[in-house]
Amino acid sequence: MPAAIHPSHLTDPACAELRLWLPELADGQPLPPEAAHLAAHLPTCPACQTELAELRQLFNDLDALPPELPPLAMRDNFQAMLEQEKAKLAAASPAGLTAARGGQALAPPLAQAVVAPKNSANQQWLRVAASVALVAVGAILGLLLRGGQSASPLAQLTPTEQPVQPSLSMKLAAARQQPATASQRLQLVSQAPAAIVEPNDPAVLTLIHTLDTDPNPNVRLAACEALFRLRSDPRVGPALVEALPLQTDPNVQITLIETLVTLREKRAVPGLEELAKKPDALPAVRLQAESGLGQLI
Amino acid sequence: MPAATATALSDEALMAQVQGGDLDQLTGLFERYHGPLFGFLARLANGDRDLAQDLTQNVFVRVLRYRASYQPGQPFRAWVYQMARHVWADHYQRQRPSADLEEVEKTAAHGRQAQAQRAAKDQNEALHEALALLPAAQREVLLLHRFQGFDYAEIGEQLGCTAGAARVKAHRALDALRKIYLS
Repeated sequence: MPAAIHPSHLTDPACAELRLWLPELADGQPLPPEAAHLAAHLPTCPACQTELAELRQLFNDLDALPPELPPLAMRDNFQAMLEQEKAKLAAASPAGLTAARGGQALAPPLAQAVVAPKNSANQQWLRVAASVALVAVGAILGLLLRGGQSASPLAQLTPTEQPVQPSLSMKLAAARQQPATASQRLQLVSQAPAAIVEPNDPAVLTLIHTLDTDPNPNVRLAACEALFRLRSDPRVGPALVEALPLQTDPNVQITLIETLVTLREKRAVPGLEELAKKPDALPAVRLQAESGLGQLI
Repeated sequence: MPAATATALSDEALMAQVQGGDLDQLTGLFERYHGPLFGFLARLANGDRDLAQDLTQNVFVRVLRYRASYQPGQPFRAWVYQMARHVWADHYQRQRPSADLEEVEKTAAHGRQAQAQRAAKDQNEALHEALALLPAAQREVLLLHRFQGFDYAEIGEQLGCTAGAARVKAHRALDALRKIYLS
């Protein structure tokens, strides 16, 4: 303890010289050659030994501090910011953006006037496509909601009707054939938690299905985060656990691990152990899995 | 570019693409860095998670806004942490209630208070409190070294001093923390 340190510790040249290296010694590093002669001082100096012991305790306690994990909402905010910046960039220089994506130099501002009408028409088309997609998925969600009020929704379907879940998948698959539909799916999935108010809402199953099967990793990410917001539903936890081995995209894997850890989902432990050892997983994913295990076990 | 491919690229390659106008590539960098940056800023902000969230978002806003200033090949990690330090410094300057001397006095007073309450607090809380009582510049150096894994040469570049000077600053910070925490 500092109070017990002898005053000579602060004035003795050998102490002063060794103190410069105590943090490295406390970290388990050897003294460098130019300070090797100080090794003989340590066993003879209780004050330096005390300071070294304190530093070791401090380092141990610092290492034991729990990590500050970012809230999941950060991704939503980031994506919104990114979309805003992209829209600004596109509005300022639509030709430039297109050219830059091809790895070429930015187009001169004069090109804007030429491309603007085409871009405007394209945006108009996208708005129409977005509206169609929204209406289609809205109708499906409506069907699902009605199904939730029925004791046996599938029993009410005629033999010629498809079950609701494949129908939604088909609609989503069809929507994928058109430009910008991944963005629309992303938007719809992000909005789902606000729309789902009933307990055991069947739309939760649609979100789970989206997390497991949507081809776009950003949509799967959004589904994961939407499900996190719907975590009070008893189906969400097991579904997230089961989704872990299905995911191959590192971003989705890492988000899923963070979500499972935040939810303290101990059923994820076997899946995390497997992922931590998986040779073809990215090192960052394996590390995240190990870190998650450390927090769950 | 598919995300799986994006994650295989280096930070610098992704940033070069962002700089070239492919803003979507920032998502890969966000995935790699938002956690560590949030941790860094949350500890700088003494555990204020809402503030850390805002500041982290600001870092990425600045990465986009100032992407032209990124030098190709420059280590992205050092660059983005420099950005985070600037975001923090801007916030700190706006919020700073008192001069250096007052801060020292406050630190001493709080140190005594912390000492009195030490027995009643758990270890993590006491250490957080001790970190919070460090002057901001010392806390920053300590966080960069012990939590973010920067070596003294990298910290020296961030602070505009030599590696040796950065080491001295880090040691002083450690010494101050040790005295607050274990006194």
